Amino acid sequence: MTPTGRDQVLGRVREALKQRAKLEHPGRLTVDRSQPPVDSFRDRFTQNGGEVAGPEADPREWLVRLLSGLSSEQGSTTSTIAPGAHVPASWIQGLPVAGPEVASVGVSMAWGAAGDSGSVLLESTGGRRVQLLPPVHVVFVPESRVRPTLGEALEAAHPALPATLGVHSGPSKSADIGSTLVKGVHGPGRIIAVLVPAPS
Amino acid sequence: MDVRSNEYKAHSKAIIRDSPGVRDAIRGATVAFDQARKNAYAEVDADAWRRWAEGVKNHTLTHLDRYLEEAEARLTENGCTVHWASTGGDVRTVVTEIARARAAGSVVKGKSMLSEEVDLNPALERAGIKVVETDLGEYILQLLNEAPSHILGPAIHRSLEDVQQLFSRELGTDASGTPDALANAARKRLRQEFLEADMGITGANFVVAESGTIALIENEGNIRLSTSLPKVHVVLVGIEKIIPRMSDLAGFVQLTARAGTGQPIGCFVSLIQGPAAESGDDGPDEVHVVFVDNGRTDVLSDDHAWETLRCVRCGACLNSCPVYRQTGGHAYGWVYSGPIGAVLDPGLLGLKEAMPLPFASTLCGACFDACPVRIPIPELLLYWRGRAHEAGLTPPSERALLRTFAGVATRPGLYPTAGRIGTKVAAGPLGKKLPLLNDWAEHRALPKPSERTFRRLWKDGIQ
Repeated sequence: MTPTGRDQVLGRVREALKQRAKLEHPGRLTVDRSQPPVDSFRDRFTQNGGEVAGPEADPREWLVRLLSGLSSEQGSTTSTIAPGAHVPASWIQGLPVAGPEVASVGVSMAWGAAGDSGSVLLESTGGRRVQLLPPVHVVFVPESRVRPTLGEALEAAHPALPATLGVHSGPSKSADIGSTLVKGVHGPGRIIAVLVPAPS
Repeated sequence: MDVRSNEYKAHSKAIIRDSPGVRDAIRGATVAFDQARKNAYAEVDADAWRRWAEGVKNHTLTHLDRYLEEAEARLTENGCTVHWASTGGDVRTVVTEIARARAAGSVVKGKSMLSEEVDLNPALERAGIKVVETDLGEYILQLLNEAPSHILGPAIHRSLEDVQQLFSRELGTDASGTPDALANAARKRLRQEFLEADMGITGANFVVAESGTIALIENEGNIRLSTSLPKVHVVLVGIEKIIPRMSDLAGFVQLTARAGTGQPIGCFVSLIQGPAAESGDDGPDEVHVVFVDNGRTDVLSDDHAWETLRCVRCGACLNSCPVYRQTGGHAYGWVYSGPIGAVLDPGLLGLKEAMPLPFASTLCGACFDACPVRIPIPELLLYWRGRAHEAGLTPPSERALLRTFAGVATRPGLYPTAGRIGTKVAAGPLGKKLPLLNDWAEHRALPKPSERTFRRLWKDGIQ
């Protein structure tokens, strides 16, 4: 039977390792987890170029204020939202909704967040287009689900991981044009994490 | 990409002579990145992180067959199709067939050095498939029909003026457009491509064996889009990209970002387990993972060079290198340039094809200090130089000189005489003609040798 690509590659790997001493895994990496997670998240996410709001007791009211602010910035156009699947219906009730390809603001509910890297964790089941296409991305973050470190957040997510877990830590940016930093190259140029109580 | 490393000397001279703008642009970018890395390392216990990462990679590489099998099993359970490619030709065949099976007419690509290694884009184009690079730097290069010059910032050799002219021609932007305006134009054009593409192709920064997770790090968001909007996603994975456990991933993601750009983490990290499985997930319905060898097992079997496979493709060594800084990546003549290129290319391509890259270095060691996985690049450069000497690949005059030196230095009777003669010759008019000294001596006066040699002083009792 002719060897498959798999047999060939694995065969060569085993051959290459025949005389190699096996080296042990060094174990876990110790990282600093001394700062309270929400404080750490607020500092880091802001340093990364993101914005942090809250704790916000009335998420719907917060969205209304944001949309009104955006509308007045951009003249008379109505600002619309594209809500993700995990955002509670009461938080977006009555607000102007549009598809993610055309909406001004994508609104997501984070699975959780990490303090040391300043990251929000987003499940693909919430809707990827909502997280990526609109120029502004609002992410509601339940305060109780902010973990001290990215490592802890990922281990808590595993093994029940969705098809894709997006770890977003700031606005989209690039320095590819003349080494000058520009924002919002492909993904949202503005990302706002709004701390909220855990949804009921 | 054609291998043109043998032309390094002529090519680098030409770049320095004819394109001073390139040197300025590269220096500006690399110095900034290098300083950012140093600041980012200083914020954490970088030494401990680097030793840990080295240890995890070494463990994985010495158990690679086991981890490849585990990764394949988990990825398959997650709904991915796993393919194995021995050569570049195999990769081209596999990917073209996936595209044909789905009647894919257009592809959006995230930046992948591996895809450059195997010349994937031309193969897809020959099959009638449109390929669009979506990383802003790679998009610029695609329009210019140029090769990347740096692992992370492929177009850093191009100035703002270059891009203004290019986009004015290709996208109809203002000839004096600001970076924001130019980026906006590219975003609009590429947004259409993302929405219409049938297939997305990316590399992978890491693949976690324990969970079957493909990890991709970026700042723009083009990888999140390339892996979310098209219905098919193809992932090219060099077999050395495997890491064992989910508990290893956060450390590697953060260390790679700190090393490459000085950030605590990339703006977007995609952790992909498989195709969209649940309602509400608007992602791809097919994910194909291609494990690629393409010379990596040759490197793995070399008792010295195997350490090169720890590389996480962060570009930190390029940013630290005083030699790379003079020319950028094109002078090196292949996909991997700078210090990592000088030690990896001989292993992947063969030493003859990669000459004289192991010699394109002052052995200053800055690359080792920068490397997040502590690849001993200076030692590996010496290793490959020794191999080049043994294989007769170094210039005959240099080999003759070294043989003469060895002959003299190992004869205690000859050495003092040779020393006296040597210093007199080097200081005289003939000195400038000697190999190794000639270029260096062209613009410098050599120091005046002492009246008495050290041996003489010692005998006389040094005062």
